[in-house]
Amino acid sequence: MDYDKLFQTIVNAATLGSTYALIALGYTIVYGILKLLNFAHGDVFMVGAYVGFGILTLFGGALDPSISIWLVLILMTIAAMVACAVLGVVIERFAYRPLRSAPRIAPLISALGVSFFLSYSVQLLFGAQQRTYDSFNWDGGKLFEPAITIGSFTISWLRVITIVASIVLMLALWYLVSRTRTGKAMRATSIDLDAAAMMGIDIDKVIRFAFVLAGALAGAAGVLFALRTYLVPSMGFTPGLFAFTAAVIGGIGSIPGAMLGGILLGTVEALTVTYVTEWIGIPVGLSNLVIFSLLIVFLLIRPQGILGRPDIKKV
Amino acid sequence: MATLLELKGVSMAFGGLTCVDALDMHVDEGEIVSVIGPNGAGKTTLFNLVTGVYEPTAGDIVFAGESIKGLTPHKITQRGIARTFQTLRLFLNMSVRENVMAAAYGHTKAGVFRSMLRTPGMRREEREIRALAEKRLAFFGERLMGYRWDQPAYSLSYANRRRLEIARATATNPRLLLLDEPAAGMNPKETQEITELISQLREEGGYTILVIEHDMHVVEGISDRVVALDHGVKIAEGTFEQVATSPRVVEAYLGTGAMERK
Amino acid sequence: MSEAQGPRIGEDEWVARSGENIERHRLLRLADRVPGWARLLLFVAAVAAIPLITDDGYINVVVFDTLIFCLLAIGLNVVVGWGGLLDLGYIAFFGVGAYTYAILSSEQFGLHVSSFAVLAISVVVGALLGLLVGLPSWRLSGDYLAIVTLFVYQIFISLATNGNDLFGFDLTGGVNGIANLDPFDLFGRELVVAKQGIFNSNYVYLALGIFVVVFVALYLVNHSRIGRAWRALREDELAAELMGMPTDWLKLLAFAFGAAVAALTGSLFASLKVGVFPETFSLTLLITVYAMLILGGVGSQTGAVLGAVVVYVFLEALRDPDVSGWVFYVTILLALLLVVRPRWMVAGVLAATVAFGFVVHAIAGAIDETWTTSAGPDADSVTRFLDAWVVIPATPGDARAIAYIGLIALVLFCTTVKGVWRWLALVPTLYLAAFVWENIMSADPDVTRFVLLGALLVSVMVIRPSGILGERRVEIV
Repeated sequence: MDYDKLFQTIVNAATLGSTYALIALGYTIVYGILKLLNFAHGDVFMVGAYVGFGILTLFGGALDPSISIWLVLILMTIAAMVACAVLGVVIERFAYRPLRSAPRIAPLISALGVSFFLSYSVQLLFGAQQRTYDSFNWDGGKLFEPAITIGSFTISWLRVITIVASIVLMLALWYLVSRTRTGKAMRATSIDLDAAAMMGIDIDKVIRFAFVLAGALAGAAGVLFALRTYLVPSMGFTPGLFAFTAAVIGGIGSIPGAMLGGILLGTVEALTVTYVTEWIGIPVGLSNLVIFSLLIVFLLIRPQGILGRPDIKKV
Repeated sequence: MATLLELKGVSMAFGGLTCVDALDMHVDEGEIVSVIGPNGAGKTTLFNLVTGVYEPTAGDIVFAGESIKGLTPHKITQRGIARTFQTLRLFLNMSVRENVMAAAYGHTKAGVFRSMLRTPGMRREEREIRALAEKRLAFFGERLMGYRWDQPAYSLSYANRRRLEIARATATNPRLLLLDEPAAGMNPKETQEITELISQLREEGGYTILVIEHDMHVVEGISDRVVALDHGVKIAEGTFEQVATSPRVVEAYLGTGAMERK
Repeated sequence: MSEAQGPRIGEDEWVARSGENIERHRLLRLADRVPGWARLLLFVAAVAAIPLITDDGYINVVVFDTLIFCLLAIGLNVVVGWGGLLDLGYIAFFGVGAYTYAILSSEQFGLHVSSFAVLAISVVVGALLGLLVGLPSWRLSGDYLAIVTLFVYQIFISLATNGNDLFGFDLTGGVNGIANLDPFDLFGRELVVAKQGIFNSNYVYLALGIFVVVFVALYLVNHSRIGRAWRALREDELAAELMGMPTDWLKLLAFAFGAAVAALTGSLFASLKVGVFPETFSLTLLITVYAMLILGGVGSQTGAVLGAVVVYVFLEALRDPDVSGWVFYVTILLALLLVVRPRWMVAGVLAATVAFGFVVHAIAGAIDETWTTSAGPDADSVTRFLDAWVVIPATPGDARAIAYIGLIALVLFCTTVKGVWRWLALVPTLYLAAFVWENIMSADPDVTRFVLLGALLVSVMVIRPSGILGERRVEIV
């Protein structure tokens, strides 16, 4: 039993899972209220990563920052969160709101158009080549040094930061949704939009709030994600798809469901990549095939997800 | 007369809410039976159960001697049960004729390949469907005739839409016709026409008819038998006079104490 | 909740307002009078004439590719338009068809099956796969089916990209795909792809022939009881089910049809190519096909074809830097004509923009010489005008992103204001648009065209959700 591999897989699962959870929350909050699959959300995540890149460049880049790199990181994250929150609101206002009473397919196609527009605009501005935060060189490689050591197992600073930041954000979200008035209004609206409107809840404001939350989380996730890998304009698609799946598995519309789904999916991915491909004897690149096949089966068995309500099934 | 439709101890519960509670009732071949009751009594739920939109949580539904519980709606329709809707569900953007032709699907069979190849059999079937639709529409006289056939359904007046929906239902060649508040929203003259129409449907079309209605003039004018429901339970059954004077029915509509005041 | 502007799509109107409902433009009503078969004939004649008129291989390739897109669009129309299902994995079937051809007609396994047989096999494979993939629609509602189809797409890509090592078996050639495909074999006669380096226009005729067959076949199915049932299903699914139509099976049928057409098209497509590679079957391709269908009008075969032609020609035209500039400015002009009322005010706005531009240019030049460039002596008059008018800095740098985002913000702002304010806001917006175009977009036309397509898609959806040729329908939510 290779304990080191097992341990790394677990840490991997937590890291991946926390990122997926952040993005999944955005999908689930929006779907809960508008019953809309926000295809553009993955690209909002991507924009967040690029905003972070822009801020990093503004302060001189990874190798010679004009202020402490850790401060830069915080600024990057905040900037990404703000930018993506604004972006989310703008998208809602101009691409979704006019279509609220249109046939259901219309906002979905509009979302595809927005996704297209965002990814190609970023390509126009930043080029199609890979960019990177160059996190390996931050502060002499501090990010990859062990932060926590348990016996012979280590967890790097990078992973610790990712996981902790995600947890903090999720807690903040949980607080906002369950303890504030707007949060309660949001939950009411996602259960029954018409009834909520008749109770005097300002639907437009609630929807704006939802997109702000979704955008902010996605922006932060973008920066955290880009720390571990590189940036390309198309980077939003697969994590977006995974995150949306996580939201569905956890129960679309359910916030704890999105968090649970994210962790679960991160675990499935980590396990598949490390172990399952070995067991079956297929190349690692095919792990997606395994994951998506499992997901299809899961959806057929339990379309409402783990924590979802069964009303999703066809009448 | 043979029993065409029978409900045996049928219950329908949604979570904690029981809409229909151990209902026993039957409709014999050739009868016109009316179902009455205050709002929320479970009448439309009854229709949804019979047509397969809901599956009963208890009990059985037997049509022409065979259980239809659990069958999908289109299969039940193909067996001979058709309905109209309380809130009108026409195919609005299709023409009047097409609305009725569409309903002939269940008893026609030209498939994909025969349609693509335009076989003589397929073409003959199309002609038959068209003729059937026109015949069913002709039943309603001038109102749904001639140039109206090619008009989109949304251009029809309200009363004509109701008639179209009945015509469409009859195109499925049913044995049992379920009419859900056919006179809703109609003025007295139109209501009178509907009353005559329903009798004509039985006389000329040979359909067995189960009607949900609130307008007691219509109920009185057409019914062989009346069944009264309240809160999902059958509270009276019999001729119109019997049911109208039944204490439980009066109470359900007018509240307790109404009987005493009477 | 919001202002009423006639029958709102998505709400049922009790009072018949048929005049407003069938609000089709004069030109379209004129076109409606031409019977369907005549329209098809005209289209075929027009396309067939092109290889006769021109020898230019590039144009013939474009025509061929346009026909491929027309096929893809009418196939997708069956699923989305007639069946009402959102199939986001549609391109996977296209890919399966392409790989089927590649596997059966190349050196990969030494098979050289006759091409029409390959096409037939593709249709069957596509239909079966479509049935399989569509099965979840029995249990899952529309949104969920969309997700499942996305998964199927991912599975396909995963298989195509990594299929070179399946338990030691090389099925798909991996990232490098399968190359050296046989050219199409027309009843024993091989259709050479290129004669002396020039594209063989016989491929255009082949594609045209297949297109006509598929178009007519789909048309015939749609004008039968099945098509009627599909229409009824779209109108009101529950009512259709209760009128004896097996809605689940009908949806599955639509799905399978679409998949079969896509697979057939994939094989045809592959016959022309040097090889098939996973990256061809991208999300971009999927959204492009959707854009074509949506812009042309969902549910209408004619619309699908029109959408395919317009969008593809538009995309190809935008590749050429000279042409793209013209297209850009002309489109802006047209958009202005649509948006600014009264129409003569357009001249006013344009004049103001030109004046504004010169002023800005002068100021910019005065502040810093490197902020403006001047065209060389060989440049044509248009370029010289643009250089004198638009600020084209020698080194744009960070201003690019700011200008771009600023333009988007300004454009959106213009849509929210009306009347005089709109005219005023349009002036800096137009100038900024020219700036962004000259400095950012025209430098990378391959990317720009997709940016514009995305923007177009959103705009059309917001303005006219039923597409350009689609009819505005009364609908029950």
